[in-house]
Amino acid sequence: MAELNDRSVPAPSTPAPGIPATTQLLAIAWLRWRIFVNGFRRQSSGSKVAGLIFTVVLRLILWPMFALMAIGPAVACGFLAWLAIAHRHPQGLVPLLAAVAILWQFVAVNGVSMAATLATFDPGSLLRFPLRFGRYLVLRLALGLLTPSTIVGCLALFAAAIGISVADSSLAPAAFLVLAVYAAMNIFFSRMIAVWLERWLATRRAREIFGMLMAVVIIGFQVLNFRGLKFHRPTGHPSAAPQNWLIAFLNGTHAFLNWLPPAFAANSIVGGHALARLAQFAALLLWTAIFFAALALRLHKQFLGEYLSEGAPGAAVTLRPHHLAAQAADNEPRSSSNEERATGNLQLAARTFISPTIATCLRKEWVYLRGNSNQIIAMLTPLIFVAIFARGMLARHPSYLLAGSVAYAMLGLLAGLYNIFGADGAGVQLYLLAPVRLRDVIVAKNIASLALLLTEAALAWCLVAWLATAPIPLATQVSTLFWVVFMLFANLAFGTLRSIQSPRKVSIAQARRMRSPSAGKTSGLLVLAILFGSFLLQIPVTMLCQHFDNLWLAALIFAPLAAVAVSAYALLLANVDHLILTHRDLFAEELCSD
Amino acid sequence: MTPAIDTTQLTRRFGEFTAVDKVNLTVEAGQFFGFLGPNGAGKSTTIKMLTGLLAPTSGQIRILGADLTQNSAELKRQIGVVPEGMALFGRLTASEYLRFVGRMYGLDKATTLQRTDELLEFMNLAGENKKLITDFSHGMQKKLALAAAVIHGPRVLFLDEPFEGVDAIAAGTLKSMLQRMIARGATIFLTSHVLEIVERLCTHIGIIHRGQLVAQGSIAELRARSVAPPRPGEEAPPQPANPLTLEQIFLEIVGADRDGNLATPPEQELSWLS
Repeated sequence: MAELNDRSVPAPSTPAPGIPATTQLLAIAWLRWRIFVNGFRRQSSGSKVAGLIFTVVLRLILWPMFALMAIGPAVACGFLAWLAIAHRHPQGLVPLLAAVAILWQFVAVNGVSMAATLATFDPGSLLRFPLRFGRYLVLRLALGLLTPSTIVGCLALFAAAIGISVADSSLAPAAFLVLAVYAAMNIFFSRMIAVWLERWLATRRAREIFGMLMAVVIIGFQVLNFRGLKFHRPTGHPSAAPQNWLIAFLNGTHAFLNWLPPAFAANSIVGGHALARLAQFAALLLWTAIFFAALALRLHKQFLGEYLSEGAPGAAVTLRPHHLAAQAADNEPRSSSNEERATGNLQLAARTFISPTIATCLRKEWVYLRGNSNQIIAMLTPLIFVAIFARGMLARHPSYLLAGSVAYAMLGLLAGLYNIFGADGAGVQLYLLAPVRLRDVIVAKNIASLALLLTEAALAWCLVAWLATAPIPLATQVSTLFWVVFMLFANLAFGTLRSIQSPRKVSIAQARRMRSPSAGKTSGLLVLAILFGSFLLQIPVTMLCQHFDNLWLAALIFAPLAAVAVSAYALLLANVDHLILTHRDLFAEELCSD
Repeated sequence: MTPAIDTTQLTRRFGEFTAVDKVNLTVEAGQFFGFLGPNGAGKSTTIKMLTGLLAPTSGQIRILGADLTQNSAELKRQIGVVPEGMALFGRLTASEYLRFVGRMYGLDKATTLQRTDELLEFMNLAGENKKLITDFSHGMQKKLALAAAVIHGPRVLFLDEPFEGVDAIAAGTLKSMLQRMIARGATIFLTSHVLEIVERLCTHIGIIHRGQLVAQGSIAELRARSVAPPRPGEEAPPQPANPLTLEQIFLEIVGADRDGNLATPPEQELSWLS
């Protein structure tokens, strides 16, 4: 140890006034860079080389797909913007920009888990440093700029500006300026929604109310009676009555929509007189400022040290006074010996037809789930989009609609299969110490996950069956069932394997605030790869069915695949005890460390 | 003289639960202040509020004479913190972390590098330069967190359980360092459950229990308070040969539950335990 000298202990000093913003911002940029670089360094150590190669290959396959998802809307947006201006239908820009805003929010909602997977640290951890609020605000805005929603939205708007410029070069400066402001407005809007939702959903009661509202929205789709909605029907038709009010409502909102940002942005570019365009642009700026102010207001609260959770951090558990504890203990049935406890467990197992270990672990998983309102919200949100899909472009293709909707609904939940020990953290040591078979623990966790996934799949299935415009043939339903079994068990097998080989501790506090991914980056990519892969499999299979004019062919193809997936999972379960024991060190390192 | 830390009616509630209840705390500049309390008494919540990481529900905090809410950035430059969870960036090396912290506190590059090297050498971490922080032992992480807390030469240092998980040799080094800082005019606010260390290091003590500050003063003052005063007409008892230890004082103040019973479970409980 070094000699203790005066130099080693920095003397208390009154600091010089002001730290330059560039110093702090560059330090944070450097921090991000080092975290990124060191992440590779850690991955490449020893036995993780294979994992690194796998990750790189996976990314090489998946990133182009993600790129296509970003480029596709951009090309379409550019073309439609060009079409609107070149064919002298400038008002067409309004729905186009509104569609971009909706797409932006759609990707933002669905990209939350992806963004969390890619997040390297919580910006809130910088609050202990002497940052001014302005710099914190800049940081919070800058740190999320590479999220999928921002990339897709900005590319689409950039393409729209190019499309407008190509159609009429005199509009180019206005198009680029206005759409840049419009992009900023969308960024502020999505961030504002996210931080305010985080605030509102901080309490369990609010989350429950939100969950109820989501359920009402889903049911509301049926109340709107989309199924019978035909705009070309004569008003005298008996079924037209309930639809007239909807058409009237949609027409009535036209004037209202003129006061929203998409209309202001479009009219700022092609709104006639220069003064009128300037006024429209000012209105767009006002909207942008309002969203920014609402965002800044929330971030300022966070900056001042707001704590959103209901419970005190590290608060003491209220101890029961001894006499109450003794009284309660007297009232509780006592098992006087180990034999009696064992008998109780066997009776429990006999009642439930499963081993006492599985029953106990299932009860624990239920306790975890019961306290997790976010899970309910995460399950309800995709169903809204499923309801929209059921009336959208897939409505006439039941073969794809059913499988696509079920796959989409389960997407968010599948990631949880890839890190089943993450939420247990250091508690995983109990499984290793207790006289139980680890296979039983895994089976219990998988049963809990399967129950959620099957519930979600069943809800999506019912929604599709309810709202689809074309009947879904029985053969399609059977083949989809086999496909779901195949996908679930393939994910269970891969997920269990990854949970053992690459566990990752999940912070409950961050998970409550939807800031923590349920699995690692590679696992997240693997979920997407399997899901996309198995969904894409539907295309050649459906084409094959059409070629031979036999829908049952799909069921014949997916049934053996499902059997293979189930067998692979069973094989894994048979060897899982040995597998976990060989990975004990990894468990301790990843889950039990601070 | 302006107190280094001064709180007025400091309160923090979490829903129905009041974690810190109208605490009026004064720590003079240059004091080595030990902040004690049972688990969940409100120590860490108080430290979080004093360092600007948690907003108080009500009340005022003045650090070095200035209001913390109004001057948070300026005051954060003059304080150092070893928080409860240490809040290190696990994917950096120790050297990278200290360089980052130095720059965040506005030190120039040369000073940051010089202090980084000196602190790593002093904390016996210089040989671990290629290791990521996440691979450090708990004790090594504590030492690094302390190094980061002092790199900018803070005038007030907040330490939440700095000796937890630290070996005896490292603890000795840390104690010497902290005493050197006190000698040079810094103020240290420390929480610890190791009462022997607190008794040896601290000049003044505050005890928080169920969110309320139940005692505050020098150890001698607390000791005098813990000795029951003589009844009218009785003579003062003679000074005991062995004065009360801090542990005895602490237990006397907070060691009983609401009903006045000792927290130790009675013999008849857990009778099945062999």
